Amino acid sequence: MERIKFKINGKQYELLVEPHEMLSAVIRDKIGLTGTKIGCEQGTCGACTVLADGKPVLSCIAPALRFDNAEITTIEALAQNGALHALQQKFVDKGAIQCGFCTPGMVMTALDFVNHHPNPSTTEIKEALSGNLCRCTGYKKIIEAVAEYAAEAHRPIRFSKPNKSHLHTSVGVSRPYIEAGRKASGAAEYADDIHVKNALHCKFLRSIYPHAKIDRIDVSEALKLEGVRYIATGAELPVKFGVLPISQDETAMAIEKTRYVGEIVAAVAADTEAIAAAACRLIKVEYRPIRPFLEIDDSLRDIGDSEKIHDYGKFNNNVHKKAELRFGDQQQGLREADVTAKMTFKFEGVNHGFTEPHAATAFWDENGLTIYTATQVPHYLHRALAKTMEVPLSRVRVIKPTVGGGFGGKSDPFPHEVIIAHLARKTGRAVRVRLSREEVFLTNHGRHPSVMTVEMGISKDGIIQVLDADIVIDGGAYGSFGVVTSYYNGVLLQAPYKLDNFGFRTYRVYTNKPQCGAMRGHGAVNSRFAVESLIDELAYQINMDPCELRMKNFLDSNTLTVGQYRITSNGSRESLQKVMEQSEWKKRIGKLPAGRGLGVGCGFFISGSALPIIWNELPQSVVHLKLDFDGRVLITSGASDIGQGSDTMLAIIVAEVLGIDPEKIFVLAADTLLTPVDLGSYSSRVTFMAGNAAKDAAENLKKEILRVVSAHFETPESELNLANNRVFSNDKSADLSWLEAVDRLTAGRGAVSVSGKYISPKLGGDFKGAGAGLSPSYSFGACVAEVEVNPDTGQVKVLQVWGAHDCGKAINPMAVEGQLEGSWHMGIGQVLSEQMRYFNGLLINNNFLDYKIPTTLDTPDIHTNIIETIDPEGPFGAKECGEGALHPVIPAVTNAIYNAVGVRITKLPINAEEVLRQMKAIKVLEATQELSLA
Amino acid sequence: MTLEKTYFRPRSIGEAVRLAAEYETDLRYLAGGTDVMVNKFQETDTSTCLIDLTGIEAMKQTQQKNDHLSIGALVCLDDLKKIPEISAEFPLLLEAVQAVASPVIRKTATLGGNLLCENRCAFFNQSEWWRQAAGFCLKCNGATCLATGGTLNCFSKFASDTAIALVGMDATITVLDKEAEYTVPLEEIYTGDGLDPRKLDKTALIRSIELPIGRGFRSVFKKLRHRETLEFSSLTSVVTIDQIGQVKIVLGGVDPKPVVVIGTIADDKNELIKKAIKKARIVDNDVYSRLYRKEMIGVYLNKSFEELEQADFLSNKLAS
Ligand SMILES: Cc1cc2nc3c(=O)[nH]c(=O)nc-3n(C[C@H](O)[C@H](O)[C@H](O)COP(=O)(O)OP(=O)(O)OC[C@H]3O[C@@H](n4cnc5c(N)ncnc54)[C@H](O)[C@@H]3O)c2cc1C
Ligand code: SF4
Ligand code: FES
Ligand code: FES
Repeated sequence: MERIKFKINGKQYELLVEPHEMLSAVIRDKIGLTGTKIGCEQGTCGACTVLADGKPVLSCIAPALRFDNAEITTIEALAQNGALHALQQKFVDKGAIQCGFCTPGMVMTALDFVNHHPNPSTTEIKEALSGNLCRCTGYKKIIEAVAEYAAEAHRPIRFSKPNKSHLHTSVGVSRPYIEAGRKASGAAEYADDIHVKNALHCKFLRSIYPHAKIDRIDVSEALKLEGVRYIATGAELPVKFGVLPISQDETAMAIEKTRYVGEIVAAVAADTEAIAAAACRLIKVEYRPIRPFLEIDDSLRDIGDSEKIHDYGKFNNNVHKKAELRFGDQQQGLREADVTAKMTFKFEGVNHGFTEPHAATAFWDENGLTIYTATQVPHYLHRALAKTMEVPLSRVRVIKPTVGGGFGGKSDPFPHEVIIAHLARKTGRAVRVRLSREEVFLTNHGRHPSVMTVEMGISKDGIIQVLDADIVIDGGAYGSFGVVTSYYNGVLLQAPYKLDNFGFRTYRVYTNKPQCGAMRGHGAVNSRFAVESLIDELAYQINMDPCELRMKNFLDSNTLTVGQYRITSNGSRESLQKVMEQSEWKKRIGKLPAGRGLGVGCGFFISGSALPIIWNELPQSVVHLKLDFDGRVLITSGASDIGQGSDTMLAIIVAEVLGIDPEKIFVLAADTLLTPVDLGSYSSRVTFMAGNAAKDAAENLKKEILRVVSAHFETPESELNLANNRVFSNDKSADLSWLEAVDRLTAGRGAVSVSGKYISPKLGGDFKGAGAGLSPSYSFGACVAEVEVNPDTGQVKVLQVWGAHDCGKAINPMAVEGQLEGSWHMGIGQVLSEQMRYFNGLLINNNFLDYKIPTTLDTPDIHTNIIETIDPEGPFGAKECGEGALHPVIPAVTNAIYNAVGVRITKLPINAEEVLRQMKAIKVLEATQELSLA
Repeated sequence: MTLEKTYFRPRSIGEAVRLAAEYETDLRYLAGGTDVMVNKFQETDTSTCLIDLTGIEAMKQTQQKNDHLSIGALVCLDDLKKIPEISAEFPLLLEAVQAVASPVIRKTATLGGNLLCENRCAFFNQSEWWRQAAGFCLKCNGATCLATGGTLNCFSKFASDTAIALVGMDATITVLDKEAEYTVPLEEIYTGDGLDPRKLDKTALIRSIELPIGRGFRSVFKKLRHRETLEFSSLTSVVTIDQIGQVKIVLGGVDPKPVVVIGTIADDKNELIKKAIKKARIVDNDVYSRLYRKEMIGVYLNKSFEELEQADFLSNKLAS
């Protein structure tokens, strides 16, 4: 240890620091300024950026001792006297903050940049922020915020007041997230920022074999290390869990054998993280490797004498699930089609890439277990912890702090959560854990690698006659959401086009790799890509504009699909029309310079699953409201805001119904002790379901208010209004301020609590599998992309994306735009550069340098359009906007490549090498054709 | 994470080298640390003594000396553009700098550090746990190379982008070690052995980098990478032509050292390109395949020559 003196945010510190300690660790763990975030620890994400002597520094790769006598500025120093810095305020106002995990680093980087470049161009801003990854926003609003700040920065007043225009807000008015200021200032508490007293630190020993018997685990040497408090191995946690009741196939640690490289084999709780890590190295495990199954084909086949990954299923292979549904007559459809096309598509796995690594702290007290954890589904975790800890449900409390993004990757109960709960019980101490980025990648649960052969047929007039899909998805070592994924790959093809003859078969196989699960656009992204590519192909074959072909085939509003999905509002046509107009499709298609092309894609998605994962008769969402003498409405809801803005959505809806400012509302969300059950943030269900529950609750509260006011003034309830923070009759004979009305309501009664709920209507057919993909409402959308392909290298650049998405009604347009832009950005990642690459079952690209999330410079200009169709059952007409937008952008890009250079992409991500090879093949073909013509 | 036991921050070059001699067996100089600290995190660097050079002001100076520009090894990459002589005479260096890592990293990373940035490989730049699981390769004292299956040679990629530009302009470096101070052509310090890519004494400290003034380099720089920022090189190519018609091709990211081919404008450029392709010992240890990178050498060099000719043509036209 060496002594170091420095100033942080103007305060002098003198500390003892180890030579290997990074500045980030000192700032966060020793000084407690947790606004500085750690997303990668390898200099690739920018979340940890601070200023040292006025210069931006990545604190995760900067040794602390270097900063002796330095002046460090962290995000916490920017706000002054309670007012955010003008740049922070811009981030808030422009909606540049979603999960907020990248925000401190972005703000610090941008601040330094604008200080040195007072009049930056957009290109310069993009360049300056290109070392800061954001997974939520698609960067668009961040770039706008920086540009506006720069434009205004020369004004004398640097500290702006909160923007008053947002204060009176209701449905349909853009509003920053209610917690955006807290995120901008660095005050928001993410799981790793929460410090429970006297906590132990947990580290894991992970398997180095994909498939191996564990013969012996010797922890004796590790236990001797001073500061080690407990070492747990698999046998101590035998109870299986999994997010789906039908796939409870996972234990917290490997017990008799390991099923993937990276599976947890032992866990150490120790006084410090370093001691826990050192102890892991002293644990000796004797493995006996057995035959691993790493590829889809190996898992489909009979495996002879080898051992199956799971002792499951009646066949001697590693198939986990077969899902198959058929409607109409596909043979007939093929016969009736004038033109058919059949193609095989291959997709690599992709990861959610949320910027906040998993982290959690667990402890036990007189109330049982409490866990703070970065989760999207407190409710399912609640159940899984009760099960694995073997305690009643009433002894578990799950608290979701601020969460730094999820995208599906925080929606399973995870081994690390179960393990620290166990360690905490064993040691009687709080136990905390945070995963490294490599561990986050190993935990995975991302999009399934898939192979599919899909056939489509159309008649000459462009009407789709048949669709048949044969799909295999690679689930990795465990079940996760896989059964649902298997169905979604097929069933979510039955819209947005009308189909009479439609069928699919999906196999999900186990392999010895990190498990796959739900990721944004769950299940349908890859098969949607296949269908949109085939439609494009067929359109070219019959010489029809691919947009026109789509227009001809869209389902109408208020109709049923072939698999009996009830389609209510449907903005497919409006969406496509919008992006066609904006991209000047008709004028430009086919007339672009060589190497440039335009492509289109469409899609749809569920607004929440109509059926709960665990069958029961609870509503899908319950929201409580409490109104007390102070006039403030407390919303309690189990819905998990993970950066998508659901807390704000709840506040807006309640404010709208009650006619009050959102400032009079306080949202308490996602604490399984304090808040009623909401199933969680998955399947794009929150706005629709929790939003409806909130609306129901607010209407119930409104009734109570109307009842007392009407009685007092002897005015009929139908004559009364709630608006502008008042309760008044049409003739103003009754006219109370909000507080006066509250006084009436609470007189002799005290605080009033009401409840609201959402229960999905009964939907769907009664055949087996009819429940998959059923939703009370569906979103629709379209994208056009413009690309440029380099003829010499095969490299593809996406120049522009025009997107439109029917979200029913935008409760908060700014938040909707943010969801759409983030979805398109994520799709661009999957099409251009993202994939999980393995070497003998070992994930090669387990960091943000090698797992390639698009940076500001790789992200094209995005043109965002919200389409509103006012869904009959959505809250104020609203439906999904967080996932569905991702589907169309991927095929739009590859169809644009086809349009540009004639290369049909059937493998994702795009590979420049492959594009180049095919371009050459086309040239050779053309040359020989010319020869034969001549 | 390697637990360093000692950390020094000397204030003079002499003190740094003296400390280095004392801790020679287990030492790592630290400049920006943007390469070293990541390697420490992944434990591909297990040295236990860090000598942080950033306190040595003398290594941050840039001055013109006779016929060359001497750039202090500790000058930050981002600060190079502020040096007028560089933008005027050696814009190629700035192009290369712009292609390194990300803007924030370039504010910490130094030129000297960049020249000595460790060679890279998909199987090597991994955590200790990962490398154990994969089976330690030659570069981690194992028996076989995971990229080739061979047991003799490591072909980890040469990573520095600025070195490619500097070699293209015949840069030299001035080195100080426990024995002596000397100046060598930059390209001579690179061995081509992926296991031990530099022939420098453990205590060797690069004091400065020198570029020859008045050679009138015309140049083209290209870098193959998946994203437009952050990425290490899959292929970096530089072609320079000086006043007297020396043509120099330098390639990075495709061999353990810079691949250099020298000729004159009178030579058949296709032959020069062929030579460069032949010299590059590319293996499959990158996101792009060996064959693609090989093909791209030809594409990049052809394009570079085209661009040089076009520029020539334009400047002739302007002159006439
Ligand atoms: C996300 C990321 C992306 C990157 N991308 C690129 C890239 O695209 N291209 C690229 O070239 N690099 C890249 N790097 C690597 C690194 O940032 C650069 O090479 C940088 O220039 C190294 O400089 P430094 O001063 O930080 O070196 P350090 O890390 O301090 O040192 C690097 C090596 O040089 C030695 N050294 C440093 N200075 C001296 C000296 N004066 N005398 C003797 N030895 C010395 C050190 O001992 C060490 O071995 C990247 C790094 C990260 C984290
Ligand atoms: S080239 Fe071979 S020996 Fe060298 S680092 Fe890569 S795998 Fe190891
Ligand atoms: S945490 Fe430092 S750059 Fe990612
Ligand atoms: S807001 Fe940028 S990562 Fe979430």
